Amino acid sequence: MTGSPFKFLGALVFIVLAYTATAQAANPQDFVQNMGDKAFASLSEEGLSQDQRTERFRGLLNEAFDLPRIARFTLGRYWRTATDEEKTEFITLFEKFVIQAYSSRFQDMSGQKLNVINAREVSASQVLVLSEIEIPGKAPVKINWRVRSKDDAHKIVDVLVQGISMSVTQRDEFAAVIRKTGGKVDGLIKALRRKTGSN
Amino acid sequence: MKVVRVLPGHIARIIVSASCIGLLAAGCATAPPASDQAAVAAFSEANDPYEPFNRAMLDFNLALDKAILKPVAYVYKEGVPDPLQTNVTNFLANLRGPVIFANDLLQGEFDRAGNTLLRFAMNSTIGILGINDFAGEAGITGHTEDFGQTLATWDVDDGPYLVLPIFGPSNSRDGVGIVADHLIDPLSWLTPFEFQIGRTVGTAVDRRARNYDQLNDLEKNSLDFYAAIRSLYRQRRVDQIRNGAPASSTPIPGRISVVPQKTDSQQSKATTTKK
Repeated sequence: MTGSPFKFLGALVFIVLAYTATAQAANPQDFVQNMGDKAFASLSEEGLSQDQRTERFRGLLNEAFDLPRIARFTLGRYWRTATDEEKTEFITLFEKFVIQAYSSRFQDMSGQKLNVINAREVSASQVLVLSEIEIPGKAPVKINWRVRSKDDAHKIVDVLVQGISMSVTQRDEFAAVIRKTGGKVDGLIKALRRKTGSN
Repeated sequence: MKVVRVLPGHIARIIVSASCIGLLAAGCATAPPASDQAAVAAFSEANDPYEPFNRAMLDFNLALDKAILKPVAYVYKEGVPDPLQTNVTNFLANLRGPVIFANDLLQGEFDRAGNTLLRFAMNSTIGILGINDFAGEAGITGHTEDFGQTLATWDVDDGPYLVLPIFGPSNSRDGVGIVADHLIDPLSWLTPFEFQIGRTVGTAVDRRARNYDQLNDLEKNSLDFYAAIRSLYRQRRVDQIRNGAPASSTPIPGRISVVPQKTDSQQSKATTTKK
């Protein structure tokens, strides 16, 4: 009887260790492969409601991606002109925006699989992992992942679909919105609030 | 060899710049005042001096799309069996063989030209007029080329962004490319006019049906649909011009000039301590 809380604690420690092990895979390629396998398994589960899928997507997104860094990149040159409050709100809204835009895209992924092909170094801390997504009955889609590694922990900082960078696309779009609203980050924040339904 | 490469590029550049003059009258975006540095940088980066004209043209194309192309593509996508749709895609792709072959040659890509020729020969015969991608199944995968890309390999700049009526996103270089491709395509002189109309309509419907979900998605999830399309078009073209090779020149999140200097020095410190 007295042993059971310790058993529970043991199991918890084991789970935490196993979890950390996947997050700190030996190299960026394994990291992307593991994340891909996990994402496909978790998001394509049958009978999942859209809300549940969105929650799972949020978890995976924060685990695998360096969202604050990506958010800062997409603001481009306007990051410097933003106030601290604007920066904080922008990062929060950016996460909401990404989840809203991307979580619905993972509805029908049955039979799909991510295969890492190889990787090439792009800088001292960054590697480009080349992969393909297998889609039954269709040509495979080429997806490249820019992974930033620090102390054996890996985070994705960009996704390139058939050569198109999601971060660059987002940055260009945000720049256009800012330019239209008089060159103020505030204009973009308002547009993001409307889009994500945040007051 | 050098002369051959430079000369057509030079002529092409003159044609490209000449073709833009007509558009000057169509409405230009006002450049921001020189004092506003961020705005000036953003303006030149967008490389879109005809933005008001282009936005109007996108609206025009979208209205046309909603009224005609989108409903037709939907019926086609939902009503026609998938294998038949693949046959149509293959057939239309095979028709582009001669143009791709010519552009492979003009780019000096002789291996790729050989590949295109082999595919065209195999698919037009064993593949039954191209409805089956027989070569692709045998492991000889295809690629696409066009004269816009050829001009790019001759160092012709893309020029300002343009949204063409019906043709959609383009730029002055690729606009010239569309015309040139039509002129060098033997099928455009050898086939009857009715066939060409059918081919053009078929190509439009096939392409629209294949991009149906992605376009819906993009329209729903973008803050500025026009700017998103512009960015996607540019990046797609750069990727096509590089023949899909990953670029090292793409800006890397976290390694750009706007990142506070602190981050850079922290990174270099981290590397030195590791050593």
